[in-house]
Amino acid sequence: MRNPKANNIKLGAFVLSALVLMIFAFFIIGKNNNIFGNDFRLKVQFSNLNGLTKGNNVLFSGLQAGTVKEVELINDSTIEVTMQINSKVKSFIHKNALAAVGTEGLMGNKVVNISPVKGISKKVEEGDLLKVKNTANMDEIIAKLSKTNDNVAIISEVLKGTVLRIDSSAILKLINDQSIGINLKASLKNIYKTTSNANEMTIGLNHLVNDIKKGKGTAGLLLTDTSMASTLKDAIVQIKAAGVNANQMTNQMNTMVKDLNHELTNGKGPLNRLLKDSLTAKNISLTIENLQKGTDGFNQNMEALKHNFLFRGYFRKLDSKKKEEQSELLKSSQKK
Amino acid sequence: METEIKEPVIVIKDLVKAFGDKKVLDGFNLTVEKGSNVVILGKSGSGKSVLIKCIIGLLQSDSGSILVFKGNISQMNEDELDQARSKIGFLFQSNALYDSMTIRENLEFPLLRHWVDITKEEVERLVNEALENVDLLHTMDMMPSELSGGMLKRVALARTMILRPEVILYDEPTTGLDPVTSREIENLILKLQKKNHSSSIIISHDMNCVKNTADLVVLLLEGKCYTKGTYEELKQSTDENIKQFFE
Amino acid sequence: MSLVIRFKNFLDETGNIARFTARFFSVGIKPRYENKELFNQCYIIGYRSLPLVGLTAFIMGLVLTMQLRPSLVDYGVESQLPVMVGLAIVREIGPVITALIFAGKIGSSIGAELGSMKVTEQIDAMTVSGIKPFKYLVATRVLATTLMLPLLTILGDAISLFGAYLGVNIRSVTSFDLFFLQVFKSLDFSDVLPAIIKTLFFGFAVGIVGCYKGFNSTKGTQGVGISANSAVVLSSVMIFIIDLLAVQITELMGLN
Ligand SMILES: Nc1ncnc2c1ncn2[C@@H]1O[C@H](COP(=O)(O)OP(=O)(O)OP(=O)(O)O)[C@@H](O)[C@H]1O
Ligand SMILES: [Mg+2]
Repeated sequence: MRNPKANNIKLGAFVLSALVLMIFAFFIIGKNNNIFGNDFRLKVQFSNLNGLTKGNNVLFSGLQAGTVKEVELINDSTIEVTMQINSKVKSFIHKNALAAVGTEGLMGNKVVNISPVKGISKKVEEGDLLKVKNTANMDEIIAKLSKTNDNVAIISEVLKGTVLRIDSSAILKLINDQSIGINLKASLKNIYKTTSNANEMTIGLNHLVNDIKKGKGTAGLLLTDTSMASTLKDAIVQIKAAGVNANQMTNQMNTMVKDLNHELTNGKGPLNRLLKDSLTAKNISLTIENLQKGTDGFNQNMEALKHNFLFRGYFRKLDSKKKEEQSELLKSSQKK
Repeated sequence: METEIKEPVIVIKDLVKAFGDKKVLDGFNLTVEKGSNVVILGKSGSGKSVLIKCIIGLLQSDSGSILVFKGNISQMNEDELDQARSKIGFLFQSNALYDSMTIRENLEFPLLRHWVDITKEEVERLVNEALENVDLLHTMDMMPSELSGGMLKRVALARTMILRPEVILYDEPTTGLDPVTSREIENLILKLQKKNHSSSIIISHDMNCVKNTADLVVLLLEGKCYTKGTYEELKQSTDENIKQFFE
Repeated sequence: MSLVIRFKNFLDETGNIARFTARFFSVGIKPRYENKELFNQCYIIGYRSLPLVGLTAFIMGLVLTMQLRPSLVDYGVESQLPVMVGLAIVREIGPVITALIFAGKIGSSIGAELGSMKVTEQIDAMTVSGIKPFKYLVATRVLATTLMLPLLTILGDAISLFGAYLGVNIRSVTSFDLFFLQVFKSLDFSDVLPAIIKTLFFGFAVGIVGCYKGFNSTKGTQGVGISANSAVVLSSVMIFIIDLLAVQITELMGLN
């Protein structure tokens, strides 16, 4: 009030600086948001969005190209995603380009990745529908993981079935051939190892799950995405079931082997004679071979799982532990 | 006195004003003639300030009429009220100087409002003159907070008079001032009255002031005009209620 | 019983404020305009609040960044710090903190100023001098608060972001360009516009409440104190209520 003119100048500077800042901010946001550019729309139909929502980014060969404008459920297996694409990118996208739902970085927001495909094709136009590409990303790794576990479960189921059949088969009781007996023993050992392997795996995964729950470790970080975590959980539940199956199987094997041993050492019973038939023996051999193959496959699966980069670090630790345990086991067996 | 009315400036009839259940004014009557000074006496809290606030329309009366320049205050709209107020000066009991403004701005403020097309030089001249009247020219660029109570009263007086109002309502113009300054202010009131032929209502407890300025003294008691007369007349009175004031 | 009376008083107060607001729109907006006083108030309310707002905004940006960092580091997304802080500041922290500081500074000063003017009869003196106090005192102040708070918020946001930039640089190194880019990349009009629009309402609330409390101040210094105090309290509460409404409205409009 004392010096109105000076005050007015200060007020003017104040107001102007704020307005300039605002306009500047709007300008920059506008540039980012493409509000001032003329955009065009592309569509793509997915069967599963994996959590993609309105406003997520659209990347073209990894370049920020637009945003998801609309997500519409068309039927129970088709969801149409409308994307708003910066017109600058328009001339680079061809009609045969493939779209896929991906993840920004290893976790974070879902994005639509549009990737060019070799071959001649026209440039896209407003409203074009792009084809979907199958991608290997985190989601799929997890999906594979769970598939592996499914396999584990099936294998153990099969193993169990086989063992049961072997066990219940009267033929087995007739086995006389020492060599078969030895083979069988070896196979059974193999099975035993496999199942213990599976057990360890299960325990390991249990730890992992705990870690994940607490959000620790790289795996934990990667899996904070709830959808991933639940997939993995499912997988682990299955592995656990497999482990239980394997356990059961081992027990049955054990009793069977005992029985067998008993019978072999005693070498009596009317069934002994039947086993003299070499064909039967061969059959049994074959069965056992198959069994071995099955367990090998199982082992391989487990191995693959170990090498999955996600769990690498974890299993390295587990490995050293395992070695310790093995040496302990060796010691104790030596004592026996 | 009422019989030989010259020209009434303010006519108050049966004025009633209550705050809640408390009737502060209860059928008050008063006529102020042009060119006369009416002094209102009354105990503290008897409603003197309320009365003059009703006259200028700061308070709405409950019933009765107040005619100022023949217009009824309580029935005027905003513009008419402004019109009437531009001819009325009001000295607040608490001075009511704008304490965010300098003394100069305090004086300029009503000038610029009421006389829209006044020139800068004219404003300057009037402000100077008004301050000179109260002998406070040197305070021109000070803030009210830098002045003493008596100085503030004088500035307030200057502000009241700057518009040369036809009617001036003084709410205790000399309270809290030394006898010398009081005398000056009384003289100022009289001088202005002569110069502008203005009429005034003065609220005062200061008997010297009453004696010097009053053409008519009115005693406000229990919301009514208890008595009225010249200073001398009331001084002779034997009525207990009146005698209290002259002791 | 006393509860009923309290509730009645509350409703009465609410009604009075509503009336006061209506009066602002019916009387305050019409000519004649007190432009000079408006500019003066803008200066006092806007410009003079800038140092305080700037300081709090700066500290807020800095502290927010430092507080957020550990949890982001835990999740391995430290690089998202500018984005998080930027969004938090622009969408919520900036407008609300600025408005609260503003309510504390301006709401109380308006409440106290008008309160003491009322008590010392300065408002009556204005009326007598042919000035509409409502226009001269209330309309100018309400307009000034309404116009100045958004500007203060914008400047505050900028200062706050600068504080955040320094905050990021305490523990790691980011170039200003990268920080700037990250913040603005994450911002959308739907982040900025509702945030600025709501500050208009915050400012209006602070102005109206401050003026109402001051204008209806009761006699005595205590009355003035109460006016100033209740102006701050009520306008702060109003800010939160408006904030709640704003978030609901933006949600409804699908801007979130
Ligand atoms: N706004 C108001 N609300 C409620 N009561 C009021 C109001 N203004 C005045 N009164 C009451 O009216 C009565 C008269 O007040 P007023 O100010 O007119 O006294 P006064 O005669 O001027 O006294 P003093 O000589 O002390 O100034 C007092 O009792 C006061 O309590
Ligand atoms: Mg009084």
